[in-house]
Amino acid sequence: MTGDISNARISFDDVRVGFGAGKKRKEVIDGVSFDLGPGEFVSVLGPSGCGKSTLLNMAAGFPATDSGEVRFDGERITRPESRRGVVFQQYAIFPWLTVEKNIAFGLTLKSNRRSRSEIDETVRRYIDLMGLGGFEKALPKELSGGMRQRVALARAYATDPDVLLLDEPFAALDAQTREFMQELLHEASRAERRATLLITHSVEEAIYLSHRIVVLGNRPTSVHEVIDVDVPWPRTPQSRLQPEFLEVRGHLEGVMRPLSGSTLRKAQT
Amino acid sequence: MQALRRTLLPFVGFALVIALWWLTAVSGVVGERNLPTPAAVLDAGWTGLTTPDGLLVDIRLSVLRVLIGVVVGCALSLPLGFLLAWFPTTRAMFDPIVSFCRALPPISLSPLVIIYLGIGEDARLFVLIWAAFFASVVVLYEGIAAVDDIYVRAGRALGASEFEIFRRVIVPATVPQMFVAVRVALGVSWATLVAAELIAAQRGPGWSIQRAASFFRTEDVYAGIILIGFSALLMDMGVRLVQRRAVSWQERVVR
Repeated sequence: MTGDISNARISFDDVRVGFGAGKKRKEVIDGVSFDLGPGEFVSVLGPSGCGKSTLLNMAAGFPATDSGEVRFDGERITRPESRRGVVFQQYAIFPWLTVEKNIAFGLTLKSNRRSRSEIDETVRRYIDLMGLGGFEKALPKELSGGMRQRVALARAYATDPDVLLLDEPFAALDAQTREFMQELLHEASRAERRATLLITHSVEEAIYLSHRIVVLGNRPTSVHEVIDVDVPWPRTPQSRLQPEFLEVRGHLEGVMRPLSGSTLRKAQT
Repeated sequence: MQALRRTLLPFVGFALVIALWWLTAVSGVVGERNLPTPAAVLDAGWTGLTTPDGLLVDIRLSVLRVLIGVVVGCALSLPLGFLLAWFPTTRAMFDPIVSFCRALPPISLSPLVIIYLGIGEDARLFVLIWAAFFASVVVLYEGIAAVDDIYVRAGRALGASEFEIFRRVIVPATVPQMFVAVRVALGVSWATLVAAELIAAQRGPGWSIQRAASFFRTEDVYAGIILIGFSALLMDMGVRLVQRRAVSWQERVVR
């Protein structure tokens, strides 16, 4: 199942991150390797503070790696580009633009410029895919948190990225909205078939959405284990009650509990 | 109901202050010569405004001076504020100088300005432009520095070039701050102008207050002060009106 190195879209190769130099150096991420294959949905699951967002930022191209490298289609990632779409945990849609202008934003930039009719068509498509019909002219301040993240997803999809990078996009939402958003994202990613990397600390979310889950351990962070999720595809709200789902969930919660606990203890001392 | 309250309450505030003033004046604790009644001040103001070549000329002159000062000052500070805040090198280089010039009370420049530019209109406008420029450049500068990095990162991830980040993210994100900058410049300009007129001017409300005081016409002093206050208030309200339309996207904390 693990994507063959040669056709992986994103590959993390022995990534290390630390602060300080020489003897004082403290490793935060200590050798993380895994691949994201074409069309694959992979979740990175880990306790808070383990550096999972740092991994996503590297894949996006925000900071460079200290050592080891993150490659995109075989090339070292050095800067952000629209072929790798990003959705952040914080609301990052532009508050001064309407919903449709937010979604069109990437397509009006020089690096990705499309014709007016193409833009309209794309915006229409993602408005529909994300269930935003009727809110085209709305400003972000008029939208709920869940709607804002739907706009953010639509905006990321609109530039036609090869890879989608999602940094805990639903973490700020209430439980009910989260479940709804997971279902919406699952439908969207089935329709879009783009390689997607999701950072999350929710076991349930990771199982519901992923082909594969990369479980990270505590600081210094390394890959604790990689799990193939065998819950039948496509997933529906009923999947959450299937024995395969519950089995993976039981296993992951067992793995995560001691990991989260020790982070907590460390944070308290 | 909420809207009605918001329109009415400011008037209630004014009414309360005026009532208190009236009571104090009538009770005579400070002496009739020292504190005229609101009616006497209103009368003095009305007479002043309606006399040919009276207060109206003074106030028009000041409004014009403030407008020129703020317009020119902000026209200079908007591009320069962006330039200073956007490039780390220029920011590091000019940060202390800007802070220095801002801390300097503009009025303290007047002796120098008088030496170089004389005591004419040029001198007054120079001091006003200086005041408006430094007041607004700092506000703008802070505003640009405070743009949430998440929007910049989102823009980059969507493929924006450095220039596009500037023009399509930083500039629109800073528009609310530009209005704050203009309002601060207005306030500082009024303060500076009236102070300048009190010291040396041929005309202007500051000058007319000064003259009224030397004849001990307190009702004229009060009328002048109130007229300055209202002119400044009206200009500020004008900017706020435009601001509300221009940045209707802004989320405001509702209490």
